[in-house]
Parts: sequence; C-alpha cells; structure tokens
Amino acid sequence: MSGGKEEKDTGISSSARQRRRRSPRRFTFSMQKRLLAMFALIVAAFVVLAVRLFLIQRDNGRSYTMQVLSQQAYGSKTLPYKRGRIVDSKGTVLADSQLVYNVIIDARQMLEDKAYLEPSLDAAARLGIDKEKLRAYVTENSSSQYYIARRNLPYQDRRAFDTELKEGIEAENKAAKAVQAAKKAAEEAGEDPEKIDPVEFVYNNIKGIWFEEAYIRTYPCSTLAADVIGFSGTANKGSYGLEEYYNDTLNGVEGRTYGYLDESLNVEQTTIQPKDGNNLILTLDANLQSICEKYLKEFNAEFKNKKHKGNGSNNAACIIMDPHTGGILAMASEPGFDPNNPYDISAVTGMPKLNKKDTPTTSYLTLAETRTMSDKDKARYLSALWNNFCVSTHFEPGSTAKPFTTAMGLETGKVKTTDKYECTGQLIIDGTRVPCAHLEGDGVIDPAGAIERSCNVALMQEAEKIGPEIFCKYQNVFNFGLKTNVDLANEARTDGYLYAQEDMKAIDLATNSFGQNFEVTMIQMITGFCSLINGGYYYQPHIVDRITSAGGSTVQTNEPRVLKKTVSEETSALIRQYCIRAVEGEHATGPLARPAGYRIGGKTGTAETLPRENGQWIVSFMGFAPAEDPQIVIYVVLDRINNKKQDEAGRACEIARKILSEALPYLNIYMTEPLSYMEQAELEKMGLYDTNDRVQQTDQEGQ
Amino acid sequence: MGASVPDQKKSRFELEDYSLLFIVLFLVAFGLVLLYSTSSYVSAAEHEGDSTYYLMRQLMFTGAGLLLMTIIVFIPHRLWRFFSVPAYLGSIGLILLVLKFGKTVNGAKRWLEIKGFSMQPSEAAKVAVIILTAFLIEIIGRRRLQSFLGFFLPLVPASVMAVILWKITNNMSSALIVLAIAFGMLFVACPGYKRFIVLAVMGVAGCVAGVFYIVRIADQGGLGFRESRVLVWLDPQSYAGDTGFQTLQALYAIGSGGLFGKGLGQSMQKNIVPEVQNDMIFSIICEELGLFGAIGIMLLFILLIWRLILVAGNAQDLYGALVVSGVIAHIAVQSILNIAVVTNTVPNTGVTLPFISYGGSSLFFLLAEIGIVLSVARTSSRAQEQEKIKT
Repeated sequence: MSGGKEEKDTGISSSARQRRRRSPRRFTFSMQKRLLAMFALIVAAFVVLAVRLFLIQRDNGRSYTMQVLSQQAYGSKTLPYKRGRIVDSKGTVLADSQLVYNVIIDARQMLEDKAYLEPSLDAAARLGIDKEKLRAYVTENSSSQYYIARRNLPYQDRRAFDTELKEGIEAENKAAKAVQAAKKAAEEAGEDPEKIDPVEFVYNNIKGIWFEEAYIRTYPCSTLAADVIGFSGTANKGSYGLEEYYNDTLNGVEGRTYGYLDESLNVEQTTIQPKDGNNLILTLDANLQSICEKYLKEFNAEFKNKKHKGNGSNNAACIIMDPHTGGILAMASEPGFDPNNPYDISAVTGMPKLNKKDTPTTSYLTLAETRTMSDKDKARYLSALWNNFCVSTHFEPGSTAKPFTTAMGLETGKVKTTDKYECTGQLIIDGTRVPCAHLEGDGVIDPAGAIERSCNVALMQEAEKIGPEIFCKYQNVFNFGLKTNVDLANEARTDGYLYAQEDMKAIDLATNSFGQNFEVTMIQMITGFCSLINGGYYYQPHIVDRITSAGGSTVQTNEPRVLKKTVSEETSALIRQYCIRAVEGEHATGPLARPAGYRIGGKTGTAETLPRENGQWIVSFMGFAPAEDPQIVIYVVLDRINNKKQDEAGRACEIARKILSEALPYLNIYMTEPLSYMEQAELEKMGLYDTNDRVQQTDQEGQ
Repeated sequence: MGASVPDQKKSRFELEDYSLLFIVLFLVAFGLVLLYSTSSYVSAAEHEGDSTYYLMRQLMFTGAGLLLMTIIVFIPHRLWRFFSVPAYLGSIGLILLVLKFGKTVNGAKRWLEIKGFSMQPSEAAKVAVIILTAFLIEIIGRRRLQSFLGFFLPLVPASVMAVILWKITNNMSSALIVLAIAFGMLFVACPGYKRFIVLAVMGVAGCVAGVFYIVRIADQGGLGFRESRVLVWLDPQSYAGDTGFQTLQALYAIGSGGLFGKGLGQSMQKNIVPEVQNDMIFSIICEELGLFGAIGIMLLFILLIWRLILVAGNAQDLYGALVVSGVIAHIAVQSILNIAVVTNTVPNTGVTLPFISYGGSSLFFLLAEIGIVLSVARTSSRAQEQEKIKT
C-alpha cells in the first residue's frame, strides 16, 4: 500500500490514477467514492434484511414451527362411511344410503393445455354441469384444484362416463396408431405424408374431472312410516323418529386417507377404511304399515274440506302392537311427509294454525299461506308435521281408559263382578253435575255392562270405591304419565298432566275414571292395554327388533322384555270379556269395529278436548284380535274430525275394522265366524273377498 | 480494505480476479445443491417421480452459461459498445415476440418458447440496458451529465424498456429492476448527491402515499392484483388461504428454521410453499440452513459485490467501470428484493435470487454479465502490466 488518500479510500491502484489525466472518459476518483457509497447502501440493505430474519425467528419462531408441523398431515381426506339401513321385519328397505359421486373439477389441469379446455368442458356438461358457468369458474380460478361442480351424481352415470371415456381413448389411440402407420407407408411410397389427416383427440384431452365418493340417504317407500323413520340430511344427522333415536348406531366411522413424510421425506399414503354404520331391523311390518296408512288416507280423503278447508282431521293415527312382545307392527299418522323431501312446505297445507303456544287453533293453513310463510313459521309447522303423533302428542284418552279403571278395581277387589251401579244419566259430585254419555241413563248395570255401554256414571262410582290412592298408584302401574322408553325420538312425558294423589279431589277422580282430565300418549295407552289383555304382562314397547352390522352379523337383539306385571291373569281375562262385550254386546258402543268373519274385543273413546264445550273431540278405538287369543292390539285415534259432528267414535271403529279386515288375513289369522251377505259384499268391495274363489274352494272340499 | 489493494507480485492473478470467479462458481454450485434440495419434491410430483428434472435443466443452463462466460471473457469489453444498440433493439424485439407467441405462466405472459426451451426476454433486456446505458453515459460525458437533460437522458433506454416490460409482459418487478440498474449506473457516474437524495425521498414518499391510498380504497373492492398484494403485505394472516398463502408459508419456513436450520434436505415446507424453487428458494434456505446459512448466503452476495466494486474501481475506462456498476446494481437489487419479498419486508413480487433460484434465462444472462465483468478485469490487469513495463 503506497499511502495515498485515494488508495486508502478506494483501494484503487496508482496506475489508474495516472491514466485519468490522459483520458477524460476515465473512471474518476469521485466515482469510486460513489461506488463505495453504493456498496454501503447495499450492505445496509442486507443488514436490515438480516435483522428482519432474526426478528422473524425470535418473535415467531415457535409459533411458525408449530404451524409447519401442523401442516404436515397434508393430503388428508376423509372417506365417507355408509349410514346403516332401516329395514322392516320382512326385509323391505325403508331407508338406505346410496353411493353417489361428487364431481370435482381441477381447473389447473384443465387449463394446462389449450386443447384440454373444450373437450373437458363438454365432458363436464355430459355430467349435468352447466358448461358456461363452469367455463367462467375455471377461467377465473385458474389455479383451483378442488371445486365441487356437482353433487350426488348417481353411480350409473359415473360408470357410463368412465366407460365412454375409456372406450373413446382406446378408439382414438387406435386411430392415431393407424394414421402413424399410414403416414409411414406414404413416406415409403414417396407420397406426401402430410396429406393424411391426423386424428383429432377429444377423449384424450378430457382432463381435470375427478369423482369423490359420497352417500345420500334415500327412502325407497317415500312417505311410508315417515313419522316413525324420521329423516337424515347430508351431514348424516338424523332428525325425528328412528333416524334421530338411533343416529349413533346408524352412523359409522369416517375413514381417512392421508399422506405424511417419512424419515427420508418421502410421502407415504395411508388409508384407514371407513366403517359403515349398523342396520336397524324393525318389528314394523311394511305391509301392515301400508294397510294402516291406506285406510287413514282414505279417511282423510273422505273428510278433507268437509266442514272447513283442511285435512280430514288434525291427526289420524294408528298403532298395531304385538301384545306378546311389545313389538310395534305398525305405527302410522296422518298427515305425513316424504322424508326424501322433508322440507316441502306445501305438505303442511290443511294443518291447523298454531297459536303462540304452538297449540292448534280452529283455523287452518291454505296452500297460499304456506307459500308466504316466514322462515320461523315454516320451522314451526314443519316440526309439527314431522312430529310423530303416536309418541309425541298427548291428549285425554276418554273412554278407552275405562277398562283400566275397571281393571284396577277388580284387581284390588274394590270392584266386584257382581257389583251393581245405577245410572240415571248423570251424577252430582261435590255439587258439580257430571253427565253420562247416555243422558237417558243406563239403568242398573254391572261392571261388564258399564264397559259395554261405556257408562260414565258407573265408572265414577267404581272409582269412588277404588279411591284416589289406589287410582293414582295404578295409573303409575299402567305407566300413565311416564315415558315408555320406546325407541323413538321425542317421546312425550305426561306426568304433569296427571293428578297426584294429594291434589286429587273427588271430582277429579270421577272424571279421571272415564279418561278425562289426564293426558297420555298413544304409546302409553296401547302398551298398557296390551298388558291388560295379555295376562298382565307389561312389555317394553319397541320398534327395533335387532341391530346388524354392515356385514350382516347381529350386533344386538331386542328380546321381548317384561317390565312388570300390571294385573293378574284373572283380571286380564275379565277385561277381555268386557271388551268383547263392548264390541259384540247388545248395547255395545263399538260394533262398527268388528271385522267380518272375526271376533274381537275393544273399547271406544270419545274425549272432549279443552276448553270444554268447544265441540272439538278426539275419538278413538282400542281393541284386540282375535277375541279368544289376542295376536294384535290396535289403537286408532282421530283428532278433531273435519266434520260438523266430531264426537263419533264410530269413525275410529270403521277405520279399525277396515284395517283389521285386511291385516288379520295377512297375518294368517283365519276367520272363525260365518259371513253375512252384507259382509261378503263389503269385503268384496275392499278387494279382500272373491266369491268365485270361495265357491271353488267349497267345490274342491266337496270332491 | 487495504488487504485488497493489489500486491505487485500477485496482481496478475488478483486482477484477472480468480476470487470473483471463485465466488461466482461457489454461488452457482451452492445454488445447484440448494435447488436440488428444494425442488426435488415438487419435481418428483410434477414429473412422474423424476426428482432431478429441475436440477438437470438448471445444470444444462449452467453449462451453457459457463461456456458463454468463458467466451465473453476473451472478448474486449469495449466491443460491446457497438453491440449495445442492436442488443437493446433485439431484446425489445424478443419481448414483442412474447406478445405474439408467448406462453402464459401464472397469469402473465413472460415466456418465449422455442423448441421446448422457454426463455424470459426480460433477462436479456437487463443485459442490454446495462451495456447501452453505460455507452450512453460515456458519450454524454461527466460534465453534461450534470445538466437537467443530461441527467435524464441515460435513463431513457431503461425507462422505455421498463414501460415495455410492464405493459407488455406485465412484469413489474423486471421493470423496476431495469430502472434500478440504470439509476445505479447514473448514481455512480453523475457527480453530486443532492438529486439522488431528492429522487429517493420522492420515491419513498410516493410509496408511502401509495400504500395509504390502497389501504383507504381497499374497502370499496375492485383492487387489481398489485394493490391487493400491498394489503397482503400489511397483513398476510388475513389472506392466509388466498393471496397471502405464499408469503405466510415462506414466513413459516423461515421461522421454523432456527439458528442452524433443520439440515440440508430436511425442509418440511418445500412441498407447501408455492414457487419454492423459484422466488421462494431463500425461505427454504432459511429453513434448512437456519439463520446461520441465510446470513452466510447474504455475506457471499456482499463479498461478490465487493469484488465487483473492486473491478469497477480498477477499470481502465469509464465504459467498463459503468458496465460493472450496472452488474453490481443488477445483482444487488435482485438479491435484496428477493430476500425482502421472502421475509415480507416488501409486498410480494416475483424476483428470483441471482445464481440460486431455478431459472435458465436468469442464470445464463447473469453468467454472461460476469463474463463481461471478468473481461473488464482482464483488460485493466493487462493495462497495468503494460504500464509496469513502460515504467
């Protein structure tokens, strides 16, 4: 170093300095200084950046490291499971999940080459995707690799698409090969190979269309047993009925496919297969169910718009139960809905309008009103529609409660078969006049006669003998007011609608005796009634017979379970007799319920709703068949018939008769009684009797 | 600094500048290693399991670039003055060709594809601007540079080029770099600091005002991608799933690197960060080699620039010195901008890291520039030899 100032500053040799004088275009000393200034600036910039790097690591190092690690489960994709089926006792599928596909569009791949776009868009259009909309999406989101362009593509459509694609590609490749060969031949023959047209690829250029598995819930029998089944949306979340109650059973476990980096940073793909949900096999018989629904619908059609615009009744419901197992064979209620399309608001047309407390009023919804309904109202009415009347709605049972009152009297000895009660058409209790159903009076009758005639006065007298203590205790024995824990969603609890012993006054006891002033659900009534007539065995009511795995093996069986003994064999036998008299007797209230060719027992019910004297009634029939050896118990309830006169229990009896006329032969229960000509004609009209058939049969027997 | 003053004995080697060559070769080789580390995963995913696809292509360009560099070293650098105008017009021609036959990548037309090889004319344009601007400044002369017109005249080719690059290839970052190169050369050549300070202050004020303006109108929507990048820059977390993804993932990579990194090839982010082998390679360097490695790379760049400054300072003629200054500006601006983008110090814009990022054209022309620099160094050492003989 020679010590010059310039050298010190710039490190530039002395010879350079000497040159400066000779050439004006020389790189001057000041320029060298400026170079250093530039260098200083550059170094400063790098220092700033180094500080920035340091700060990023100091301030965010930890959280960013966590972030990086958390991102390592990349390529993770859930695989859907198949929600279990719901199948009736005979194997009819009521709810099923079907494999469908979501069409995934990979815009980036579609745009990779100009030649890809048109064929790919056309192919997408063949899958039912709007071509122009997709084009707009693809061009605007050119880097998108996952876009669900269509959901729920049926399996067949996907297969057709795959087959077409495969065959198309094969054909094109074959043609391309042929063209190549032809060109080569032409070249060898000295002709211009360009004259041969190349193959235009279409199928080979279809790119960026993928399929992803998914399942949709379908209900092949549409409205059949909708209230029992409920429905399930796309997220496998069951609502109402079995879908809700057994949601976890029906749902499986999602599978997952994911990639991770192994030690040498290679991507490993792992797939955990989804576990499909379990199936439900019901005690319910789709045939019995459809028989019930057929006659409920027939009734609804008959009374629709009769007195006012609206359904044939607020609710029309029927349960058929096996009294020896507690299994529900049929459970139907009108109006119903289609679980394939549960949100169809037009289905609530004709239902009573609800007041602020969600109780029905006496004005009814029109179709126009359903269309202009607010979302909040829609939700209210739809949930009223989805509600299963048979388990979720409570009401005063009316006279169908009389066999229970009589049974507790007989069981405790407070009432004897030989007791005599006088009915003068009314009874004054604590100054309140309580009328009998027959205002002219039933005269002097025994307990059997009281059931036969459905005499309120006699029952009130029986209840007075029984007393509130025993009465309340036995209501509990019959499980009134308590949940039966039937395996259906939203079962109502009605203990708030029953009298506690200490609150029960004489008048309450009196009205309770014939089924007024306390409320029950249909399932409570029928389960209790089963125990009354089957020898006193209170079975756990249930609708699922067994649960099977996706593979078909049984996971769980719901064996018939006796929960308690309600009454003795003797009392049970007496009640059966009384109930037979209530159908067959001279003064019987339920003769209309008897199906031709059979003997049955049962009890009608006609209950005034609150507020009293409003002319609104709930009529019902609860019976068993056949009379001697009950195989089924049926309970039909009509809630406020759309008729001037609502208090006709005969309407319920008629429905019960029709259902039984068809159900009993179906259950292989043979007729025991001769048919009158009128009955033959009626059965023939129902399509249940063929005169020729019978003639042929007798002919054969004759031979 | 004194240590780098050429010792008479060593001067021949010193001034032919093997250390510059060594630094460049080291950067290139190191770049290839890092490129392989970062690109192998993406390469395998995109090219049917071939993890060396990017490496092989880069190697090819490295070979071609080194060959070109070797040739250029032996071409007297003053010859380039005569080629500067044709080179400039040629590169504009190439850009116009892009307009017609260009390939669109990531929404911008920047690539010219010839027989399967694509090139970015903007890289050629940078070289052309360097040699032309140097020529222009030399013609105008030091005195006339101080006049108003003379000050702005050397910026004309760069400005024209910048407008073309911006408007035609939609490549703002290249336009900025071209301008910065010319500006840097002018800074070296033109006496006085005042104007530059004024211009710099105006530039900074303009940027700040622009950012404020964008933030203010952001709510009204309808922002272009550049404006939205400013918003992403200010708050990448809010755009994590969208336009901020790249920035944020790069930051994650940097943050997770620690002091010494996860080790070469151990990056976990290289399959997540978009454009990992191009603009974002520095984030993976930080992740794999840590703060230590990242600062090491920065030091290498500083060292390289220092060597270039020495060459410029020792140049025998103004033209050579200015060309080298242009190369300095080019490498410095591009490396600083790249690291600034990766660390989210400035809004995201596509700039590659010189010598290291994947990109054939960039490497090819950078090596050509180094070739010119080496030829300048060679000329000055020759001149010194002669001087020595005379005296």
